[in-house]
Amino acid sequence: MNIRILFSVLVVSLLTACCSTGTTVVLVPDANGKVGKVDVTTASGKVVLTKDKESTQATKANEAPSRPVVLSDDKIQDMFADTLAKEPIPPGRYRFYFASGSADLQAEADAELIKTKSAIEARKSCDLSVIGHSDTVGDNEGNKGISTRRAETVAKALTDRGIASNCMDVRYYGESDPAVPTADNVDEPLNRRVEVEIR
Amino acid sequence: MIPRNKNYLAQFAVRFVLLGGLLLVSTTSTAAERIGLVKTYEPVAMVIRQGAEITLQVGAEIFEGDTIVTDSSGAVGIIFSDGAVLTLGPSGKLIVENFLFKPAEQKVSFISRVTKGSVAFMSGAIGRISPGSVQFKTPTATLGLRGTKILIEVD
Repeated sequence: MNIRILFSVLVVSLLTACCSTGTTVVLVPDANGKVGKVDVTTASGKVVLTKDKESTQATKANEAPSRPVVLSDDKIQDMFADTLAKEPIPPGRYRFYFASGSADLQAEADAELIKTKSAIEARKSCDLSVIGHSDTVGDNEGNKGISTRRAETVAKALTDRGIASNCMDVRYYGESDPAVPTADNVDEPLNRRVEVEIR
Repeated sequence: MIPRNKNYLAQFAVRFVLLGGLLLVSTTSTAAERIGLVKTYEPVAMVIRQGAEITLQVGAEIFEGDTIVTDSSGAVGIIFSDGAVLTLGPSGKLIVENFLFKPAEQKVSFISRVTKGSVAFMSGAIGRISPGSVQFKTPTATLGLRGTKILIEVD
């Protein structure tokens, strides 16, 4: 019995030794150069990466992740070159702003529409979202309504300029995804917007 | 006799239409919405969906629950409907376990499992709306993103 247990322990440890499935995580800047954070958690501990090119390894589920180290560019290329070579171009975003409570395009919208149209054509994209946003003035229901009307206004302006409507989905986020986070009931011009996301 | 027959036929027609309507409703309510599109592709990469293997290509649709696999020379880059960008390198396997994106209701979640290979991931609106709701699970760890870009290798 004891020998049998010993034997299975031996087999298990040999198996883990030969095929240890480790996880390496590296934090890197996004398309805008911003570095976020990532929590790496195993059954025995947690490490938070906060710096550019900081990395940790979780070799086993029952061990804490390794102490973070900053990797060199060469090391990152070594590990991830094949993957990074196939990264899609990040989505392009174009923004239209609105007066408080209004869904009418403002004067500067014309120039932005021209830029948006040429970006869509340059990318040959048929995968667009026209997303309406509001600030936090008023209740969320009303803000869903105004953000929808704003998105519809921009979608119509784009189709009037020859962008195929079947390539577009028109949606609203209400006050859920502010450009500038604020308290409730704050009149924030930068949050009253429509974003056209070109993917 | 004849009127009764007619009546019977009419009832049958009504039932048929009702049944058809029900079927239509149930298919549209269960029909999954695509969650992303393939933007870059290097053969061979495929998706395992409801037991069937489908070879991917640029423009192919991705759905919640898909298992994405690449062979030793394959790679695939996907942009999700929240604007997140995910690339799976060679000899990789990733399952999109959960993708919920109802931003106006603040109901969002994006959970993937990587069992092997390399992944580059940049989060989108889901990560902005609810930091911490973008997660990757690997055989040894759980990664919680608080914006924005990470590289993962599982071997």
